[in-house]
Amino acid sequence: MANAQADRRNASETIAELAFGEGGRDFLAQLGSIFWFTVDTFSETWDNVRQGRRPFRAASFFRSAQRAGVDSVPLVGLVSFFLGLTMALLTGYQLQKFGTERLIPGLVSIAFTRELGPLITGIMLAARIGAAFTAELGSMKVNEEVEAIDAMGVGPLRFLVAPRVLALFFLMPCLSTVANLAAIFASSLICYAYFSIAWVYFLDLVKDALLIRDIITGVLKSFMFGLLIASIACYRGLSVKGGASGVGTATTSSVVTAITTVIGFDTVYNVVYVIFFP
Amino acid sequence: MTTPPHHIVELRDVEKVFEAKKVLDGVSLKVNPLERLVIMGQSGSGKSTILRLILGILYPDAGTAFFKQFEIPRLTRRKLQQVRRQVGMVYQYSALLSSRTVRENVALPLEELTDNSNEEIDRIVDEKLEMVGMKDSKDLLPSELSGGMRKRVSLARALVMDPELILFDEPTAGLDPVISSVIDELIINLTEKQKVTSIIVTHEMASAFRVGTRMAMLYHGKIIEDASAEEFKNSKNPVVRQFLSGSTEGPILEGTQDAIATK
Repeated sequence: MANAQADRRNASETIAELAFGEGGRDFLAQLGSIFWFTVDTFSETWDNVRQGRRPFRAASFFRSAQRAGVDSVPLVGLVSFFLGLTMALLTGYQLQKFGTERLIPGLVSIAFTRELGPLITGIMLAARIGAAFTAELGSMKVNEEVEAIDAMGVGPLRFLVAPRVLALFFLMPCLSTVANLAAIFASSLICYAYFSIAWVYFLDLVKDALLIRDIITGVLKSFMFGLLIASIACYRGLSVKGGASGVGTATTSSVVTAITTVIGFDTVYNVVYVIFFP
Repeated sequence: MTTPPHHIVELRDVEKVFEAKKVLDGVSLKVNPLERLVIMGQSGSGKSTILRLILGILYPDAGTAFFKQFEIPRLTRRKLQQVRRQVGMVYQYSALLSSRTVRENVALPLEELTDNSNEEIDRIVDEKLEMVGMKDSKDLLPSELSGGMRKRVSLARALVMDPELILFDEPTAGLDPVISSVIDELIINLTEKQKVTSIIVTHEMASAFRVGTRMAMLYHGKIIEDASAEEFKNSKNPVVRQFLSGSTEGPILEGTQDAIATK
């Protein structure tokens, strides 16, 4: 009986390894932990709300929002501006061969609102803010600060993680909107300078091409990216082990995991979206 | 199943294993109200583990731990958080939040756990900082303080919720003898004035005998001696004798690498 059970477990382990490989299995395990970490954060925060207390101090939410959101505007805006320039220029020269330069505004605006805006913003915030969150929480963990907070009876998930996750969750769509606007503005400059498309005509073309659906897709996606990046960063920060080098390793792995997950999730999201709303 | 004990803290046959090493092997301990219990033992013998078990940060692999009538390993998260508010902890390395000032550190439990107004919080924080003699350093960051000052702030933070029990993890480790005495005096005064029970983990003899009203010795995962300070000093137990004298000859080092090195 015991033997049969052991065999069966071995068999299922082998199947798991064949299917995903050991790395894949680890990855799935990590993904599960991050999911439950996020669930725990919300349930701990909700517990506090149910007791009639505020979930966390508004000041700590706004501090994170300031750092993650407002301070990221120049970076996100600048990078998207450059990307918008490049994209309009490169596609413009190809389209010019067919005499269809007037497709540039639509192309750039749809590409950015649906896909590139949220994605670029996600990647940049994973590097800029994800790394900061991980390093910050990681050094707090190493210095026993997290344990001290826990020992006081203040839930560390509610106190440290919830404001950060919520700040990124709400500011991500704002930042990707900034990215979209910057890119569309940049492409309008190219259109004006190289392809003789006037501002007014440019705006008309953008309005014709863009559907509400494109905008909603992009915004929904951004919310999810914010949640993913902040959860991964905080999870990595709070699971730091082994001193300063541990913080370094965790920060690297936080950025790598966040970027990979954002791109992976984006793909899945697009596939699902195309299947259900063709 | 288990009836609540009349002691403020009780450990029953607690076992704790870390990576195949049995750190605690059937530890039973009772702490009476208003006692100052000192737990002694070698470095790495599991003294701090006992404190973390009482706080519910670690869970025992066998046995159980009580704080008053609450069985710590069985509490829900919310209940556990409520129980922790009645317990203060002073960490070995103080564990102050490095990005907050002294005032903000001490105010943190009040801000997060009570509905007190800001004026009320300020009043309590001032009072507690006054008690530990740190009122003038209110606006400094922990990195601008010395080790002894950090310990005092940490003590003020532990006192701020008016706990019934305070746990001290090596309160005088790494401090000079004079500051050590100051901290010891503080512990004695405060616990007497505030009617607090305390458990102090240390391996510094002088400090242990100054503050302790009762002593327990942890050795190889077991409490091998548990007596009043006076009885402890005259213990016949060879391990305790060696520990008190600090000699390299005796049962503690037998068969270890260190024993071979001394020969």
